[in-house]
Amino acid sequence: MTSASPWKAWLYLVWLCLQRQARAHQLVWIALGLLALTTAVVGLNTLGGRWTMNHWRFPRGGGGTQLAVWVEGMGPLPGSAPALALQTALKGAARSILFQAGLSIFSNWVVFSVFLSFLLPIWSLSFATDAIGGEREARTLVWLLHQPLPRPGIYLAKYIAVLFYSLAFNLGGFALICLVGGRAGRPAFSLYWPGVVCATLAFSALFHLMGACFRRAAVVALVYSFFLETVLANMPGYMKRVSIGFYTRCMMFDEAQKFGIQPEKPYIYLPVGSLTAEWVLIGITALSLGIGMMVFSRSEYHDLN
Amino acid sequence: MPDILESSDPRRGNRALIQAHDVAQTGKNDAIDAAHSVATLPSSLASRPAPATLLFDQVSKWYGPVIGLNEVSLELCPGITGLVGANGSGKTTLMRLAAGHLRPDLGNVRVLGHDSWTHAAKRYIGYCPDTDTFYEEMSGRQFVETMARLHGFSRLESRRRTETCLEMAGMAGRADRCIRGYSKGMRQRIKMAQALIHDPELIILDEPMSGIDPVGRQEFIQLFTQLARRGKCLLVSSHELQELEKLTDQIAVMARGRIAAVGTLAQIRDLLDNHPLSILVATDNPRSLAGALLHLPDVVGVELGEGENLIVRARNPRGFFRALTQLVLEESCEIRHLETLDDSAQAILGYLLGTRQA
Repeated sequence: MTSASPWKAWLYLVWLCLQRQARAHQLVWIALGLLALTTAVVGLNTLGGRWTMNHWRFPRGGGGTQLAVWVEGMGPLPGSAPALALQTALKGAARSILFQAGLSIFSNWVVFSVFLSFLLPIWSLSFATDAIGGEREARTLVWLLHQPLPRPGIYLAKYIAVLFYSLAFNLGGFALICLVGGRAGRPAFSLYWPGVVCATLAFSALFHLMGACFRRAAVVALVYSFFLETVLANMPGYMKRVSIGFYTRCMMFDEAQKFGIQPEKPYIYLPVGSLTAEWVLIGITALSLGIGMMVFSRSEYHDLN
Repeated sequence: MPDILESSDPRRGNRALIQAHDVAQTGKNDAIDAAHSVATLPSSLASRPAPATLLFDQVSKWYGPVIGLNEVSLELCPGITGLVGANGSGKTTLMRLAAGHLRPDLGNVRVLGHDSWTHAAKRYIGYCPDTDTFYEEMSGRQFVETMARLHGFSRLESRRRTETCLEMAGMAGRADRCIRGYSKGMRQRIKMAQALIHDPELIILDEPMSGIDPVGRQEFIQLFTQLARRGKCLLVSSHELQELEKLTDQIAVMARGRIAAVGTLAQIRDLLDNHPLSILVATDNPRSLAGALLHLPDVVGVELGEGENLIVRARNPRGFFRALTQLVLEESCEIRHLETLDDSAQAILGYLLGTRQA
């Protein structure tokens, strides 16, 4: 009898998982739709020159003068030449702040509020929950489970396939949004991509674990994303430390510190250092993978027949 | 038939003899027993050096509060064993335990000495599940080749095995179409081909004939017989006893999570004939019917139960029911209800008399 190689079998399984994962399904279409929508909105804002503070009003709110107009319209200070020089310097600084605020605005509105809180978890779960959850729903998992492959190996192969697509989609999508963001968006990509990578690792591992644990993993993952990542991650105090988004933000804040980007109230937000955040995210990835392998190895999956 | 499934175990000849021995022992020793599942293991087997192909040792399996399998002991060696039982009798649970998709709550299931749950055991198991889902976007040929690759065979070897197994399953000429366009019978054949791809020692076939036309059934029966002759151990489940009768003599009857009887059909019939059966008879005139029943040769005793019920103890159920029918016609008795009180015996009886009990 010709000998069969377990390694060949596993490598082929990775390849098969990559192929199977490539088949677009409902959630991936939704993810693509969200990407298109976000790109369009960011593009429109870029075209309208909205990534500056020039159009902000003083005092903030409706009816006030736009900041740019207010700065330009400051009347000359009475008095000596030094006072005039000071005024010119202040005006220049104000103009510069208004103009350079693009990165901060883009970071706050696009990266932290939309991408990190909403898009990243949704995109990650659209691939990760389908890896095992989709096979369970389609009842095709039986074809993998009766192969002579260790179950942790099957779980890991699925994760590798998930990660390939999640990283490509999350990084690619982020790059596209930043690119469309123009002058404000481009530096955001170079600053924040390590955070996106770490968050993708952790989210994918966590949602992959949900696929192994729950029959309707996509629903559970959506509930998790909306309630835990969106609500809890923005709460004051230590509660938010259970969310992946918090550590990703901390990594991003650390990188962007030199541009004056930081949490609105650091004494309430209580961020951790970049290195700590990185290790926590890697730890969450490893822990989720470990638990997932254990759960998958021990689960019977009565829904296969 | 193509020859890929070459023998790799020189002990097979002996083990086939052991199975014949088991069957004989089973016939002598075992009885239809509602309290305990039938054990087919003679005590001498414990010291045998070569492990059984499939061994169930006091296996129980619960689904929450419902028991799926109840203290089942079973040993299979090369040859074909038919597994018959009504819906919910535990056939699929037993097969899924054997295939390593379920884990027993009590006892253990071993395939050639390996725990069936482990991946090591799966190298010896070919499984044809009753589920009808595939990677629908693939062609039959791609699907079978994929299964071969997942067993770790090289591309060339996988292709060779795929062609051979497709030919064995009667799909060689029509395996290039997408599976989603296949008929039920073609799907069954693809499942069969993938189950044979790695030349397994134990082949578990859950309702393999379902959806197959009569010609296809005949081809499958020939295939199974040839596999058994090559020393493979086949466990084949079916609802239909008649179907299994064409395939094998060795039948295990399942009822309510237990193996109610194991052996050849003749042995099971003999066992049933010698096993006193309790039958509840509801009639308008119990006393006179009791008197008449006591004159029947197969009736061992009659008790007056609650209301107008009689509990009759009888041997040779087939003879008893024939005589009872005659008696009812002659005496013009009205029988309102007739029920076998022994679950296992009832199940077997249902199959043997051709009226399946649910």
